[in-house]
Amino acid sequence: MELGPFLNELWIVRYILLEGLWRTVSISLLAIVAGSLLGVLVGLALTYGALPLRWLMRGYTDFIRGTPVLVLVLASYYMLSTIGLQLNPFEAGVLALAVFCSSHVGEMLRGALQAIPRGQTEAAKVIGLTFHQAFIYVLAPQAIRHVLPTWVNTAAEMVKASTLLSIIGVGELLLTTQEIISRTFMSLPFYFFAGALYFVVNYGIERFGKYVERRTTIPS
Amino acid sequence: MFSQCRFAAVLAAAAILSTTAAEAQPAKSKLDDVLSRGRLVLGTGSTNAPWHFKGADGKLQGFDIDMGRVIAKALFGDPEKIEFVTQSSDARIPNITTGKVDITCQFMTVTGERAQQVAFTIPYYREGVGLMLKANGSYADYAALKAAGSSVTISVLQNVYAESMVHAALPQAKVDQYESVDLIYQALESGRADAAATDQSSIAWFMTQNPGRYKDAGYGWNPQSYSCAVARGDQDWLNFVNTALHEAMTGVEFDFYAASFKKWFGVDLAPPQIGIPVEFK
Repeated sequence: MELGPFLNELWIVRYILLEGLWRTVSISLLAIVAGSLLGVLVGLALTYGALPLRWLMRGYTDFIRGTPVLVLVLASYYMLSTIGLQLNPFEAGVLALAVFCSSHVGEMLRGALQAIPRGQTEAAKVIGLTFHQAFIYVLAPQAIRHVLPTWVNTAAEMVKASTLLSIIGVGELLLTTQEIISRTFMSLPFYFFAGALYFVVNYGIERFGKYVERRTTIPS
Repeated sequence: MFSQCRFAAVLAAAAILSTTAAEAQPAKSKLDDVLSRGRLVLGTGSTNAPWHFKGADGKLQGFDIDMGRVIAKALFGDPEKIEFVTQSSDARIPNITTGKVDITCQFMTVTGERAQQVAFTIPYYREGVGLMLKANGSYADYAALKAAGSSVTISVLQNVYAESMVHAALPQAKVDQYESVDLIYQALESGRADAAATDQSSIAWFMTQNPGRYKDAGYGWNPQSYSCAVARGDQDWLNFVNTALHEAMTGVEFDFYAASFKKWFGVDLAPPQIGIPVEFK
């Protein structure tokens, strides 16, 4: 494989590729942020909610987690339009990924909160903390530490799942790469290059997670 | 009991009356929607040259795109008034049936099964499989390849039907399957294959990109029609699109169609004969 023609083509499409990369990053960021916020609510409802709410959320997480992301993407693009909600491919894709992300974050948070010994909640009550205070000062700091490693994993999954949005025509990095290949016929080097870019994004997320873990760890 | 029956009968009669009243009004066609919107929402792909793909400038181009331009020009007198919805091949029919697009032009093969789900326009291209040879290679044309029997190797895109497809034209040829289009061309270039079998449009496009290096073996098989498609049940819209495409191939927009044909397939089309319309000859 000669490198010259590839580098030449790469230079020609540099802005187009960057645009695709940016779209992948923004889809992933939006999905991770919205999914995490929603997921925290789901996790709280799963742990502390009244019984009917807990059942409802259990149904939600089990249903969403048991559905392939591709099916969620297609459902949010096609099925929502039948009830009159016309989302463009980008919005529909972000919604599907955020919902998927929320079910995972919710379950992770539930696990983390339930792993904290009951005695701590009771002790917090004894010293006169309200539930909100107990959550913010006692439970949440510990739960966040538990959740971080798996959360980083979920965030990386979101970046990878964003490739599925190419099916509904969102010009993210994978579709952009395929578009370039269809013109240049250089499939191997451009797929390899896209793979390297995905790695860089996910490695960045992983480093960020490590950094937050370091910052939140309790010095021993 | 009797009064209940009568009540139901009145309800039914009212329902019938109201539906006939609705039908009496002329149904609004997609054509009116598109005209009042001021742009055509065209569903197409972005990853298949020379049909629909992005140039180095990132803009969509290709023969399918040009067919969209023909329709936009007929609608607005301006071929650029198009909003593109890029979609994968799998999304072609769902995007039509759910109203995401006004029309799809995306090298769509007309089949009976598909025609039950969407309404096809008249075809704007007839696709077939062809064989590409090296211009200075040892085989002159299809007859030479066929005469050589089992000593020729054909490179083809990996596919369940690839072997039987090649054998339909060259019964004894050895068939090498490759994973991607660039590899079947590379096999021909490096001499591992004597000819590459793929869509004739792909061959034509590749030859315009690499002038003088390759030639078409001059035989086509596996015919299929490419048509645009619209939602079923709107004859007015379908008629309009058909008229636009028809006049591009035979009437006032022929020069546009011919220039596009030349650009993407490298072939000069003879103008339709003047006098009695070609359809009635």
